[in-house]
Amino acid sequence: MKWYRIKALLLKYYFITLNSADRIFDIFYWPVIDVIIWGFTSYFIKQISSLNILSMALGGLILWLFVWRSAQDIAVYVLEDFWSKTLYHLFSSPVMISEHITSIVLFGFLRSMFTFFFLAALMFMLYSFNVFTIPLALLASSIAILSLFGWAMGLFITGLILRFGQRIQVLAWSLTWIIQPFSCVFYPLSALPQWAVPIAKVLPTTQVFETLRSVIFPTMGSQGNLWYALVSVLLFLVGAGWFLGSSFKKAKKNGMLVGAE
Amino acid sequence: MFAIEVEGLRKSYGKDIAVQDVSFKIRKGEIFGLLGPNGAGKSTTINMITGLLTRDAGTIKILGSDPEKDWERIKNKMGVATAYYPLNEILTIRQNLIVYSKIYNIQNANERINSLLKDFGLEHLANKRIGHLSSGERTRTTLCKGLLPKPEILFLDECTIGLDPDIAQKTRQMILDYHNETKCTILFTSHYMFEVEQLCDRIAFLDKGRILYVDTSKELKAMIKKEVIQLTLKSNTEKLSSFLRKKSIRIISVQESIITFELQENKETFQLLKEIFNQDFDVIDMHISKPTLDDIFIHIARNGK
Ligand SMILES: Nc1ncnc2c1ncn2[C@@H]1O[C@H](COP(=O)(O)OP(=O)(O)OP(=O)(O)O)[C@@H](O)[C@H]1O
Ligand SMILES: [Mg+2]
Repeated sequence: MKWYRIKALLLKYYFITLNSADRIFDIFYWPVIDVIIWGFTSYFIKQISSLNILSMALGGLILWLFVWRSAQDIAVYVLEDFWSKTLYHLFSSPVMISEHITSIVLFGFLRSMFTFFFLAALMFMLYSFNVFTIPLALLASSIAILSLFGWAMGLFITGLILRFGQRIQVLAWSLTWIIQPFSCVFYPLSALPQWAVPIAKVLPTTQVFETLRSVIFPTMGSQGNLWYALVSVLLFLVGAGWFLGSSFKKAKKNGMLVGAE
Repeated sequence: MFAIEVEGLRKSYGKDIAVQDVSFKIRKGEIFGLLGPNGAGKSTTINMITGLLTRDAGTIKILGSDPEKDWERIKNKMGVATAYYPLNEILTIRQNLIVYSKIYNIQNANERINSLLKDFGLEHLANKRIGHLSSGERTRTTLCKGLLPKPEILFLDECTIGLDPDIAQKTRQMILDYHNETKCTILFTSHYMFEVEQLCDRIAFLDKGRILYVDTSKELKAMIKKEVIQLTLKSNTEKLSSFLRKKSIRIISVQESIITFELQENKETFQLLKEIFNQDFDVIDMHISKPTLDDIFIHIARNGK
Protein backbone atom coordinates (compact mmCIF):
# COMPACT_ATOMS: atom_id res chain seq x y z
CA MET A 1 0.00 0.00 0.00
CA LYS A 2 1.21 3.48 -0.84
CA TRP A 3 -0.14 6.51 0.97
CA TYR A 4 0.09 8.78 -2.10
CA ARG A 5 -2.26 6.50 -4.01
CA ILE A 6 -4.73 6.46 -1.13
CA LYS A 7 -4.54 10.25 -1.11
CA ALA A 8 -5.18 10.29 -4.86
CA LEU A 9 -8.34 8.24 -4.35
CA LEU A 10 -9.46 10.47 -1.47
CA LEU A 11 -9.09 13.38 -3.87
CA LYS A 12 -11.34 11.51 -6.30
CA TYR A 13 -14.07 11.16 -3.64
CA TYR A 14 -13.65 14.80 -2.78
CA PHE A 15 -14.21 15.71 -6.45
CA ILE A 16 -17.24 13.41 -6.62
CA THR A 17 -18.74 15.11 -3.57
CA LEU A 18 -17.98 18.50 -5.05
CA ASN A 19 -19.69 17.65 -8.34
CA SER A 20 -22.77 15.93 -7.03
CA ALA A 21 -24.83 17.88 -4.54
CA ASP A 22 -26.78 14.75 -3.56
CA ARG A 23 -23.66 13.42 -1.81
CA ILE A 24 -23.66 16.40 0.51
CA PHE A 25 -27.41 16.30 0.81
CA ASP A 26 -27.46 12.69 1.98
CA ILE A 27 -25.02 13.43 4.79
CA PHE A 28 -27.87 15.41 6.38
CA TYR A 29 -31.16 14.33 4.90
CA TRP A 30 -32.02 10.91 6.39
CA PRO A 31 -30.37 11.56 9.77
CA VAL A 32 -32.35 14.79 10.21
CA ILE A 33 -35.62 13.10 9.32
CA ASP A 34 -34.85 10.29 11.77
CA VAL A 35 -34.06 12.76 14.54
CA ILE A 36 -37.33 14.59 14.01
CA ILE A 37 -39.46 11.43 13.90
CA TRP A 38 -37.84 9.85 16.95
CA GLY A 39 -37.91 13.08 18.91
CA PHE A 40 -41.64 13.62 18.34
CA THR A 41 -42.40 9.96 19.01
CA SER A 42 -40.54 10.12 22.31
CA TYR A 43 -42.44 13.26 23.35
CA PHE A 44 -45.71 11.61 22.50
CA ILE A 45 -44.88 8.47 24.53
CA LYS A 46 -43.84 10.64 27.44
CA GLN A 47 -47.24 12.38 27.33
CA ILE A 48 -49.29 9.19 27.46
CA SER A 49 -47.04 7.31 29.91
CA SER A 50 -44.31 8.15 32.33
CA LEU A 51 -41.61 6.62 30.11
CA ASN A 52 -38.81 8.81 28.86
CA ILE A 53 -37.33 7.00 25.89
CA LEU A 54 -35.86 10.13 24.36
CA SER A 55 -32.25 9.54 25.29
CA MET A 56 -32.41 5.86 24.36
CA ALA A 57 -33.92 6.66 20.98
CA LEU A 58 -31.63 9.54 20.13
CA GLY A 59 -28.54 7.82 21.55
CA GLY A 60 -29.28 4.71 19.52
CA LEU A 61 -29.93 6.77 16.43
CA ILE A 62 -26.75 8.80 16.51
CA LEU A 63 -24.56 5.77 17.16
CA TRP A 64 -26.24 3.40 14.71
CA LEU A 65 -25.26 5.96 12.15
CA PHE A 66 -21.69 4.64 12.29
CA VAL A 67 -22.78 1.14 11.31
CA TRP A 68 -25.17 2.26 8.66
CA ARG A 69 -23.02 4.97 7.09
CA SER A 70 -19.85 2.89 7.09
CA ALA A 71 -21.49 -0.06 5.37
CA GLN A 72 -23.50 2.11 2.99
CA ASP A 73 -20.60 4.32 1.91
CA ILE A 74 -18.39 1.38 1.03
CA ALA A 75 -21.18 -0.22 -1.00
CA VAL A 76 -22.24 3.01 -2.74
CA TYR A 77 -18.77 3.95 -3.88
CA VAL A 78 -17.95 0.44 -5.06
CA LEU A 79 -21.26 0.11 -6.91
CA GLU A 80 -20.69 3.45 -8.50
CA ASP A 81 -17.37 2.27 -9.93
CA PHE A 82 -19.30 -0.69 -11.24
CA TRP A 83 -22.03 1.31 -12.93
CA SER A 84 -19.62 3.71 -14.51
CA LYS A 85 -17.32 0.80 -15.49
CA THR A 86 -14.28 2.65 -14.20
CA LEU A 87 -12.86 -0.43 -12.47
CA TYR A 88 -11.17 -1.12 -15.81
CA HIS A 89 -9.07 2.03 -15.57
CA LEU A 90 -8.65 1.86 -11.82
CA PHE A 91 -7.25 -1.66 -11.70
CA SER A 92 -5.09 -1.36 -14.78
CA SER A 93 -3.35 1.45 -12.90
CA PRO A 94 -1.10 0.67 -9.91
CA VAL A 95 -4.05 0.99 -7.50
CA MET A 96 -4.47 -2.11 -5.35
CA ILE A 97 -7.78 -3.35 -4.01
CA SER A 98 -6.52 -2.74 -0.44
CA GLU A 99 -5.79 0.91 -1.28
CA HIS A 100 -9.17 1.25 -2.96
CA ILE A 101 -10.98 -0.07 0.13
CA THR A 102 -8.82 1.89 2.58
CA SER A 103 -9.60 5.14 0.81
CA ILE A 104 -13.34 4.44 0.84
CA VAL A 105 -13.21 3.53 4.53
CA LEU A 106 -11.35 6.71 5.42
CA PHE A 107 -13.63 8.88 3.37
CA GLY A 108 -16.72 7.17 4.79
CA PHE A 109 -15.44 7.72 8.32
CA LEU A 110 -14.99 11.41 7.63
CA ARG A 111 -18.56 11.59 6.37
CA SER A 112 -19.81 9.73 9.46
CA MET A 113 -17.99 12.07 11.82
CA PHE A 114 -19.42 15.03 9.99
CA THR A 115 -22.95 13.70 10.35
CA PHE A 116 -22.28 12.77 13.96
CA PHE A 117 -21.29 16.28 15.04
CA PHE A 118 -24.09 17.80 13.03
CA LEU A 119 -26.69 15.52 14.64
CA ALA A 120 -25.20 15.98 18.10
CA ALA A 121 -25.66 19.73 17.73
CA LEU A 122 -29.16 19.33 16.31
CA MET A 123 -30.27 16.98 19.12
CA PHE A 124 -28.93 19.36 21.69
CA MET A 125 -30.77 22.31 20.18
CA LEU A 126 -34.08 20.53 19.58
CA TYR A 127 -34.33 18.25 22.60
CA SER A 128 -31.48 19.33 24.90
CA PHE A 129 -30.10 15.85 24.49
CA ASN A 130 -26.34 15.85 25.01
CA VAL A 131 -24.61 12.79 23.62
CA PHE A 132 -21.40 13.84 25.36
CA THR A 133 -22.85 12.94 28.75
CA ILE A 134 -21.78 9.43 27.80
CA PRO A 135 -18.26 8.99 29.26
CA LEU A 136 -15.83 9.90 26.50
CA ALA A 137 -13.85 6.63 26.63
CA LEU A 138 -17.08 4.63 26.29
CA LEU A 139 -18.36 6.87 23.52
CA ALA A 140 -15.11 6.62 21.59
CA SER A 141 -14.80 2.86 21.92
CA SER A 142 -18.47 2.43 20.95
CA ILE A 143 -17.93 4.53 17.84
CA ALA A 144 -14.79 2.54 17.03
CA ILE A 145 -16.46 -0.87 17.38
CA LEU A 146 -19.61 0.19 15.51
CA SER A 147 -17.56 1.65 12.67
CA LEU A 148 -15.46 -1.50 12.46
CA PHE A 149 -18.65 -3.53 12.25
CA GLY A 150 -20.02 -1.24 9.55
CA TRP A 151 -16.81 -1.69 7.55
CA ALA A 152 -17.01 -5.45 7.95
CA MET A 153 -20.54 -5.30 6.57
CA GLY A 154 -19.42 -3.00 3.78
CA LEU A 155 -16.60 -5.36 2.79
CA PHE A 156 -19.01 -8.27 2.87
CA ILE A 157 -21.55 -6.41 0.70
CA THR A 158 -18.79 -5.41 -1.72
CA GLY A 159 -17.71 -9.05 -1.85
CA LEU A 160 -21.29 -10.05 -2.66
CA ILE A 161 -21.49 -7.49 -5.47
CA LEU A 162 -18.13 -8.55 -6.96
CA ARG A 163 -19.18 -12.18 -6.76
CA PHE A 164 -22.75 -12.00 -8.00
CA GLY A 165 -22.88 -8.70 -9.87
CA GLN A 166 -25.42 -5.96 -9.62
CA ARG A 167 -28.38 -8.29 -9.31
CA ILE A 168 -27.47 -8.72 -5.64
CA GLN A 169 -27.87 -4.98 -5.03
CA VAL A 170 -31.16 -5.01 -3.15
CA LEU A 171 -29.92 -7.57 -0.66
CA ALA A 172 -26.73 -5.58 -0.36
CA TRP A 173 -28.59 -2.40 0.52
CA SER A 174 -30.91 -4.01 3.00
CA LEU A 175 -28.28 -5.93 4.96
CA THR A 176 -27.83 -3.22 7.59
CA TRP A 177 -31.59 -3.01 8.01
CA ILE A 178 -31.77 -6.76 8.59
CA ILE A 179 -29.07 -6.61 11.25
CA GLN A 180 -30.55 -3.60 13.05
CA PRO A 181 -33.49 -5.29 14.86
CA PHE A 182 -31.11 -7.90 16.29
CA SER A 183 -28.67 -5.27 17.48
CA CYS A 184 -30.93 -3.95 20.25
CA VAL A 185 -30.34 -0.36 19.26
CA PHE A 186 -33.53 1.12 20.69
CA TYR A 187 -34.56 -1.54 23.24
CA PRO A 188 -32.78 -3.92 25.63
CA LEU A 189 -31.86 -7.49 24.80
CA SER A 190 -34.54 -8.66 27.23
CA ALA A 191 -37.19 -7.22 24.91
CA LEU A 192 -36.34 -9.70 22.13
CA PRO A 193 -38.29 -12.95 21.63
CA GLN A 194 -36.47 -16.10 22.71
CA TRP A 195 -35.50 -17.28 19.23
CA ALA A 196 -33.80 -13.99 18.41
CA VAL A 197 -31.64 -13.82 21.53
CA PRO A 198 -28.83 -16.14 20.37
CA ILE A 199 -28.51 -14.23 17.10
CA ALA A 200 -28.43 -10.92 18.93
CA LYS A 201 -25.82 -12.10 21.41
CA VAL A 202 -23.36 -12.99 18.68
CA LEU A 203 -23.45 -9.49 17.22
CA PRO A 204 -20.87 -7.02 18.54
CA THR A 205 -23.42 -4.27 18.01
CA THR A 206 -25.76 -5.76 20.64
CA GLN A 207 -22.92 -5.83 23.14
CA VAL A 208 -22.10 -2.19 22.48
CA PHE A 209 -25.66 -0.96 22.91
CA GLU A 210 -26.20 -3.13 26.00
CA THR A 211 -23.05 -1.69 27.54
CA LEU A 212 -24.21 1.85 26.77
CA ARG A 213 -27.57 1.19 28.40
CA SER A 214 -25.94 -0.35 31.47
CA VAL A 215 -24.05 2.89 31.97
CA ILE A 216 -26.82 5.34 31.10
CA PHE A 217 -29.76 3.43 32.66
CA PRO A 218 -28.18 1.29 35.40
CA THR A 219 -31.61 0.21 36.60
CA MET A 220 -32.57 -1.47 33.35
CA GLY A 221 -30.46 -4.55 34.02
CA SER A 222 -28.68 -4.53 30.67
CA GLN A 223 -25.13 -5.71 30.53
CA GLY A 224 -22.84 -5.94 27.58
CA ASN A 225 -19.33 -7.10 27.10
CA LEU A 226 -17.18 -4.62 25.21
CA TRP A 227 -14.21 -6.98 25.11
CA TYR A 228 -16.30 -9.62 23.46
CA ALA A 229 -17.56 -6.95 21.07
CA LEU A 230 -14.03 -5.92 20.16
CA VAL A 231 -12.76 -9.45 19.58
CA SER A 232 -15.81 -10.52 17.61
CA VAL A 233 -15.85 -7.38 15.46
CA LEU A 234 -12.24 -8.04 14.54
CA LEU A 235 -13.17 -11.59 13.59
CA PHE A 236 -16.06 -10.30 11.48
CA LEU A 237 -13.66 -7.88 9.82
CA VAL A 238 -11.08 -10.55 9.05
CA GLY A 239 -13.79 -12.86 7.72
CA ALA A 240 -15.30 -10.14 5.53
CA GLY A 241 -11.84 -9.12 4.30
CA TRP A 242 -11.09 -12.69 3.36
CA PHE A 243 -14.46 -13.01 1.59
CA LEU A 244 -13.83 -9.80 -0.34
CA GLY A 245 -10.34 -10.94 -1.34
CA SER A 246 -11.65 -14.22 -2.69
CA SER A 247 -14.54 -12.44 -4.47
CA PHE A 248 -12.06 -10.09 -6.12
CA LYS A 249 -10.10 -13.06 -7.43
CA LYS A 250 -13.31 -14.57 -8.72
CA ALA A 251 -14.29 -11.28 -10.36
CA LYS A 252 -11.01 -11.25 -12.25
CA LYS A 253 -11.75 -14.78 -13.39
CA ASN A 254 -15.30 -14.01 -14.56
CA GLY A 255 -14.30 -10.87 -16.40
CA MET A 256 -16.27 -8.69 -13.97
CA LEU A 257 -13.55 -6.02 -13.99
CA VAL A 258 -13.71 -5.79 -17.78
CA GLY A 259 -17.40 -5.17 -17.94
CA ALA A 260 -18.98 -8.62 -17.79
CA GLU A 261 -22.18 -8.81 -15.78
CA MET B 1 14.99 -8.18 -25.18
CA PHE B 2 11.25 -8.68 -25.18
CA ALA B 3 8.73 -6.34 -23.62
CA ILE B 4 5.95 -8.90 -23.57
CA GLU B 5 6.22 -12.67 -23.81
CA VAL B 6 3.08 -14.75 -23.90
CA GLU B 7 3.10 -18.54 -24.02
CA GLY B 8 0.18 -20.94 -24.29
CA LEU B 9 -2.43 -18.45 -23.11
CA ARG B 10 -5.88 -19.92 -22.55
CA LYS B 11 -9.18 -18.62 -21.28
CA SER B 12 -12.65 -20.09 -21.31
CA TYR B 13 -15.97 -18.94 -19.96
CA GLY B 14 -17.77 -22.08 -18.93
CA LYS B 15 -17.82 -24.24 -22.03
CA ASP B 16 -17.00 -21.38 -24.41
CA ILE B 17 -13.34 -21.08 -25.24
CA ALA B 18 -12.42 -17.43 -25.76
CA VAL B 19 -8.67 -17.81 -26.24
CA GLN B 20 -6.51 -20.90 -26.65
CA ASP B 21 -2.88 -21.59 -27.26
CA VAL B 22 -1.98 -17.99 -27.88
CA SER B 23 1.76 -17.36 -27.91
CA PHE B 24 3.75 -14.40 -29.15
CA LYS B 25 6.68 -12.24 -28.21
CA ILE B 26 6.78 -8.49 -28.62
CA ARG B 27 10.18 -6.86 -28.86
CA LYS B 28 10.94 -3.71 -26.92
CA GLY B 29 9.98 -0.72 -29.01
CA GLU B 30 7.81 -2.71 -31.37
CA ILE B 31 4.24 -1.81 -32.35
CA PHE B 32 2.36 -5.07 -32.39
CA GLY B 33 -1.16 -5.39 -33.74
CA LEU B 34 -3.83 -7.88 -32.79
CA LEU B 35 -6.18 -8.25 -35.69
CA GLY B 36 -9.24 -10.40 -36.08
CA PRO B 37 -13.00 -10.51 -36.50
CA ASN B 38 -15.50 -9.78 -33.72
CA GLY B 39 -15.20 -12.23 -30.87
CA ALA B 40 -11.78 -13.47 -31.98
CA GLY B 41 -10.34 -12.97 -28.50
CA LYS B 42 -8.36 -9.75 -28.92
CA SER B 43 -9.74 -7.94 -25.87
CA THR B 44 -9.59 -11.13 -23.82
CA THR B 45 -5.90 -11.49 -24.67
CA ILE B 46 -5.10 -7.86 -23.82
CA ASN B 47 -7.06 -8.01 -20.56
CA MET B 48 -5.18 -11.10 -19.44
CA ILE B 49 -1.88 -9.34 -20.10
CA THR B 50 -2.92 -6.20 -18.21
CA GLY B 51 -4.00 -8.32 -15.25
CA LEU B 52 -7.70 -7.44 -15.37
CA LEU B 53 -8.67 -10.98 -16.26
CA THR B 54 -7.27 -14.19 -14.80
CA ARG B 55 -6.08 -16.75 -17.34
CA ASP B 56 -6.81 -20.46 -17.15
CA ALA B 57 -3.39 -21.50 -18.39
CA GLY B 58 -0.22 -20.13 -19.92
CA THR B 59 2.57 -17.81 -18.86
CA ILE B 60 2.99 -14.08 -19.26
CA LYS B 61 6.16 -12.08 -18.83
CA ILE B 62 6.18 -8.31 -18.94
CA LEU B 63 9.46 -6.39 -19.07
CA GLY B 64 11.27 -9.56 -18.20
CA SER B 65 9.41 -10.48 -15.04
CA ASP B 66 6.37 -12.39 -13.90
CA PRO B 67 3.75 -9.68 -13.42
CA GLU B 68 2.03 -11.53 -10.56
CA LYS B 69 5.15 -10.93 -8.49
CA ASP B 70 5.83 -7.43 -9.72
CA TRP B 71 2.53 -5.71 -10.49
CA GLU B 72 3.33 -2.46 -8.79
CA ARG B 73 6.49 -1.84 -10.83
CA ILE B 74 4.91 -2.99 -14.08
CA LYS B 75 1.63 -1.12 -13.73
CA ASN B 76 3.57 2.07 -13.10
CA LYS B 77 5.18 1.56 -16.49
CA MET B 78 2.13 0.73 -18.51
CA GLY B 79 -0.66 2.82 -19.95
CA VAL B 80 -4.07 1.58 -21.05
CA ALA B 81 -6.61 3.23 -23.33
CA THR B 82 -9.79 1.97 -24.90
CA ALA B 83 -13.01 3.19 -26.42
CA TYR B 84 -14.91 0.57 -24.44
CA TYR B 85 -14.78 2.20 -21.01
CA PRO B 86 -14.81 5.91 -20.18
CA LEU B 87 -13.13 7.52 -17.19
CA ASN B 88 -15.25 8.46 -14.17
CA GLU B 89 -18.31 10.20 -15.56
CA ILE B 90 -19.05 12.43 -12.59
CA LEU B 91 -15.60 14.01 -12.73
CA THR B 92 -14.43 16.52 -15.32
CA ILE B 93 -11.64 15.65 -17.74
CA ARG B 94 -9.14 17.65 -15.72
CA GLN B 95 -10.25 16.19 -12.38
CA ASN B 96 -9.89 12.66 -13.75
CA LEU B 97 -6.43 13.37 -15.08
CA ILE B 98 -5.36 15.02 -11.83
CA VAL B 99 -6.45 11.93 -9.89
CA TYR B 100 -4.52 9.63 -12.23
CA SER B 101 -1.47 11.88 -12.13
CA LYS B 102 -1.45 11.45 -8.35
CA ILE B 103 -1.94 7.70 -8.67
CA TYR B 104 1.14 7.55 -10.93
CA ASN B 105 2.94 10.06 -8.72
CA ILE B 106 3.77 12.27 -11.70
CA GLN B 107 5.95 15.34 -11.17
CA ASN B 108 4.90 18.58 -12.87
CA ALA B 109 1.50 17.03 -13.43
CA ASN B 110 -0.19 20.24 -14.51
CA GLU B 111 2.22 20.82 -17.37
CA ARG B 112 1.89 17.24 -18.53
CA ILE B 113 -1.92 17.38 -18.37
CA ASN B 114 -2.08 20.66 -20.25
CA SER B 115 0.18 19.45 -23.02
CA LEU B 116 -1.82 16.23 -23.44
CA LEU B 117 -5.10 18.14 -23.51
CA LYS B 118 -3.64 20.39 -26.17
CA ASP B 119 -2.32 17.48 -28.23
CA PHE B 120 -5.68 15.75 -28.22
CA GLY B 121 -7.66 18.93 -28.85
CA LEU B 122 -9.48 18.76 -25.53
CA GLU B 123 -8.32 22.02 -23.98
CA HIS B 124 -11.67 23.74 -24.31
CA LEU B 125 -13.44 20.77 -22.71
CA ALA B 126 -11.10 20.37 -19.75
CA ASN B 127 -13.70 21.43 -17.20
CA LYS B 128 -16.57 19.47 -18.68
CA ARG B 129 -17.72 16.24 -17.08
CA ILE B 130 -16.94 12.99 -18.87
CA GLY B 131 -20.65 12.17 -18.70
CA HIS B 132 -21.42 15.20 -20.87
CA LEU B 133 -18.88 14.44 -23.61
CA SER B 134 -19.42 12.86 -27.02
CA SER B 135 -18.16 9.32 -27.40
CA GLY B 136 -15.17 10.39 -29.49
CA GLU B 137 -14.22 12.97 -26.86
CA ARG B 138 -14.46 10.31 -24.16
CA THR B 139 -12.19 8.01 -26.09
CA ARG B 140 -9.62 10.75 -26.43
CA THR B 141 -9.68 11.35 -22.66
CA THR B 142 -8.84 7.69 -22.08
CA LEU B 143 -5.93 8.14 -24.50
CA CYS B 144 -4.73 11.13 -22.47
CA LYS B 145 -4.95 8.98 -19.35
CA GLY B 146 -3.07 6.18 -21.11
CA LEU B 147 -0.21 8.46 -22.14
CA LEU B 148 -0.17 10.41 -18.87
CA PRO B 149 2.45 8.30 -17.04
CA LYS B 150 4.76 8.23 -20.12
CA PRO B 151 4.40 4.46 -20.24
CA GLU B 152 7.01 2.05 -21.51
CA ILE B 153 4.24 -0.23 -22.69
CA LEU B 154 1.00 1.07 -24.13
CA PHE B 155 -2.09 -1.11 -24.46
CA LEU B 156 -4.60 0.25 -26.93
CA ASP B 157 -7.80 -1.76 -27.30
CA GLU B 158 -9.86 -0.27 -30.15
CA CYS B 159 -8.78 3.21 -29.22
CA THR B 160 -9.94 4.92 -32.43
CA ILE B 161 -13.50 3.62 -32.62
CA GLY B 162 -15.98 6.44 -33.03
CA LEU B 163 -13.40 9.07 -33.95
CA ASP B 164 -14.08 11.08 -37.10
CA PRO B 165 -11.57 10.44 -39.92
CA ASP B 166 -9.67 13.66 -39.33
CA ILE B 167 -9.31 13.16 -35.58
CA ALA B 168 -8.60 9.46 -36.03
CA GLN B 169 -5.73 10.36 -38.33
CA LYS B 170 -4.41 12.94 -35.87
CA THR B 171 -4.71 10.40 -33.09
CA ARG B 172 -2.71 7.80 -35.01
CA GLN B 173 -0.10 10.47 -35.64
CA MET B 174 -0.03 11.28 -31.92
CA ILE B 175 0.55 7.64 -31.14
CA LEU B 176 3.33 7.42 -33.71
CA ASP B 177 4.92 10.63 -32.44
CA TYR B 178 4.85 9.32 -28.90
CA HIS B 179 6.37 6.08 -30.11
CA ASN B 180 9.14 7.87 -31.99
CA GLU B 181 9.87 10.05 -29.01
CA THR B 182 9.95 7.32 -26.36
CA LYS B 183 10.56 4.08 -28.28
CA CYS B 184 7.81 2.54 -26.19
CA THR B 185 6.22 -0.82 -26.92
CA ILE B 186 2.63 -0.80 -28.14
CA LEU B 187 0.06 -3.57 -28.22
CA PHE B 188 -2.74 -2.45 -30.45
CA THR B 189 -6.08 -3.91 -31.50
CA SER B 190 -8.32 -2.62 -34.23
CA HIS B 191 -10.77 -3.59 -36.94
CA TYR B 192 -9.43 -0.97 -39.30
CA MET B 193 -6.87 -2.59 -41.57
CA PHE B 194 -5.31 0.58 -42.93
CA GLU B 195 -4.76 1.70 -39.37
CA VAL B 196 -2.99 -1.49 -38.42
CA GLU B 197 -0.99 -1.23 -41.61
CA GLN B 198 -0.01 2.35 -40.90
CA LEU B 199 1.01 1.73 -37.30
CA CYS B 200 2.11 -1.81 -36.71
CA ASP B 201 5.49 -3.42 -37.26
CA ARG B 202 4.00 -6.88 -36.91
CA ILE B 203 0.50 -8.25 -36.85
CA ALA B 204 -0.97 -11.33 -35.19
CA PHE B 205 -4.12 -12.50 -36.86
CA LEU B 206 -6.54 -14.06 -34.39
CA ASP B 207 -9.63 -16.07 -35.17
CA LYS B 208 -11.84 -18.11 -32.83
CA GLY B 209 -9.33 -17.66 -30.03
CA ARG B 210 -6.32 -18.92 -31.96
CA ILE B 211 -3.47 -17.13 -33.68
CA LEU B 212 -3.46 -18.00 -37.38
CA TYR B 213 -0.54 -15.87 -38.52
CA VAL B 214 2.06 -13.57 -37.01
CA ASP B 215 3.84 -11.49 -39.59
CA THR B 216 4.51 -8.05 -41.02
CA SER B 217 1.69 -6.51 -43.00
CA LYS B 218 3.78 -6.86 -46.18
CA GLU B 219 4.20 -10.59 -45.64
CA LEU B 220 0.54 -10.98 -44.85
CA LYS B 221 -0.37 -9.22 -48.05
CA ALA B 222 1.95 -11.46 -50.04
CA MET B 223 -0.25 -14.35 -48.98
CA ILE B 224 -2.77 -13.48 -51.63
CA LYS B 225 -0.88 -13.58 -54.89
CA LYS B 226 -3.66 -12.08 -56.89
CA GLU B 227 -3.76 -8.87 -58.84
CA VAL B 228 -6.73 -7.39 -60.55
CA ILE B 229 -6.01 -5.48 -63.75
CA GLN B 230 -8.41 -3.21 -65.55
CA LEU B 231 -7.69 -1.93 -69.03
CA THR B 232 -9.68 0.64 -70.97
CA LEU B 233 -9.38 0.36 -74.74
CA LYS B 234 -10.17 2.74 -77.53
CA SER B 235 -12.03 -0.05 -79.28
CA ASN B 236 -11.95 -3.74 -80.04
CA THR B 237 -12.18 -5.49 -76.67
CA GLU B 238 -12.91 -8.72 -78.56
CA LYS B 239 -9.35 -9.04 -79.81
CA LEU B 240 -7.89 -8.61 -76.32
CA SER B 241 -10.42 -11.00 -74.75
CA SER B 242 -9.50 -13.79 -77.07
CA PHE B 243 -5.81 -13.06 -76.50
CA LEU B 244 -6.33 -13.41 -72.74
CA ARG B 245 -8.49 -16.51 -73.12
CA LYS B 246 -5.78 -18.15 -75.16
CA LYS B 247 -3.42 -17.59 -72.22
CA SER B 248 -6.13 -19.06 -69.91
CA ILE B 249 -6.32 -15.86 -67.86
CA ARG B 250 -9.52 -15.44 -65.86
CA ILE B 251 -11.57 -12.54 -67.21
CA ILE B 252 -13.76 -11.03 -64.54
CA SER B 253 -15.82 -8.74 -66.74
CA VAL B 254 -16.04 -6.98 -70.08
CA GLN B 255 -18.04 -3.79 -70.06
CA GLU B 256 -18.11 -1.78 -73.29
CA SER B 257 -14.48 -0.79 -73.68
CA ILE B 258 -13.33 -1.84 -70.21
CA ILE B 259 -11.92 -5.27 -69.58
CA THR B 260 -11.09 -6.58 -66.11
CA PHE B 261 -9.04 -9.70 -65.44
CA GLU B 262 -7.19 -11.41 -62.67
CA LEU B 263 -3.62 -12.68 -62.47
CA GLN B 264 -2.62 -15.33 -59.97
CA GLU B 265 1.11 -14.77 -59.82
CA ASN B 266 2.14 -11.16 -59.62
CA LYS B 267 5.46 -12.06 -61.25
CA GLU B 268 3.77 -12.58 -64.64
CA THR B 269 2.07 -9.17 -64.59
CA PHE B 270 4.94 -7.24 -66.01
CA GLN B 271 5.60 -9.74 -68.80
CA LEU B 272 1.96 -9.85 -69.83
CA LEU B 273 1.52 -6.08 -69.88
CA LYS B 274 4.58 -5.78 -72.05
CA GLU B 275 3.04 -8.18 -74.56
CA ILE B 276 -0.26 -6.32 -74.52
CA PHE B 277 1.40 -2.98 -75.16
CA ASN B 278 3.57 -4.41 -77.90
CA GLN B 279 0.57 -5.74 -79.80
CA ASP B 280 -1.66 -2.95 -80.85
CA PHE B 281 -4.72 -3.24 -78.58
CA ASP B 282 -5.18 0.54 -78.26
CA VAL B 283 -4.97 0.73 -74.46
CA ILE B 284 -5.83 4.22 -73.22
CA ASP B 285 -6.07 3.64 -69.46
CA MET B 286 -4.85 1.09 -66.97
CA HIS B 287 -5.54 0.28 -63.35
CA ILE B 288 -3.82 -2.40 -61.24
CA SER B 289 -5.18 -3.23 -57.80
CA LYS B 290 -3.04 -5.13 -55.38
CA PRO B 291 -4.65 -7.00 -52.51
CA THR B 292 -5.27 -4.78 -49.47
CA LEU B 293 -5.12 -5.88 -45.89
CA ASP B 294 -8.91 -5.77 -46.03
CA ASP B 295 -8.88 -8.49 -48.67
CA ILE B 296 -6.53 -10.51 -46.48
CA PHE B 297 -8.74 -9.95 -43.46
CA ILE B 298 -11.83 -11.15 -45.29
CA HIS B 299 -9.91 -13.99 -46.91
CA ILE B 300 -8.53 -15.28 -43.60
CA ALA B 301 -11.71 -14.68 -41.64
CA ARG B 302 -13.73 -16.68 -44.18
CA ASN B 303 -11.30 -19.42 -45.10
CA GLY B 304 -9.20 -19.81 -42.00
CA LYS B 305 -5.61 -20.87 -42.41
N1 LIG C 1 -17.47 -12.34 -19.61
C1 LIG C 1 -17.67 -13.18 -20.62
N2 LIG C 1 -18.46 -14.26 -20.47
C2 LIG C 1 -18.63 -15.13 -21.48
N3 LIG C 1 -18.05 -15.05 -22.68
C3 LIG C 1 -17.24 -13.99 -22.89
C4 LIG C 1 -17.00 -13.00 -21.89
N4 LIG C 1 -16.16 -12.08 -22.40
C5 LIG C 1 -15.88 -12.47 -23.67
N5 LIG C 1 -16.52 -13.61 -23.97
C6 LIG C 1 -16.44 -14.35 -25.24
O1 LIG C 1 -15.09 -14.54 -25.58
C7 LIG C 1 -14.87 -14.39 -26.96
C8 LIG C 1 -13.76 -13.38 -27.23
O2 LIG C 1 -14.22 -12.08 -26.88
P1 LIG C 1 -13.32 -10.79 -27.04
O3 LIG C 1 -14.04 -9.66 -26.40
O4 LIG C 1 -11.95 -11.09 -26.58
O5 LIG C 1 -13.31 -10.60 -28.62
P2 LIG C 1 -12.65 -9.44 -29.49
O6 LIG C 1 -11.71 -10.08 -30.42
O7 LIG C 1 -12.14 -8.37 -28.62
O8 LIG C 1 -13.92 -8.95 -30.32
P3 LIG C 1 -14.32 -7.46 -30.81
O9 LIG C 1 -13.62 -7.26 -32.09
O10 LIG C 1 -15.78 -7.56 -31.03
O11 LIG C 1 -13.94 -6.51 -29.75
C9 LIG C 1 -16.21 -14.01 -27.57
O12 LIG C 1 -16.75 -15.15 -28.18
C10 LIG C 1 -17.04 -13.58 -26.39
O13 LIG C 1 -18.38 -13.91 -26.58
MG1 LIG D 1 -12.60 -6.35 -28.29
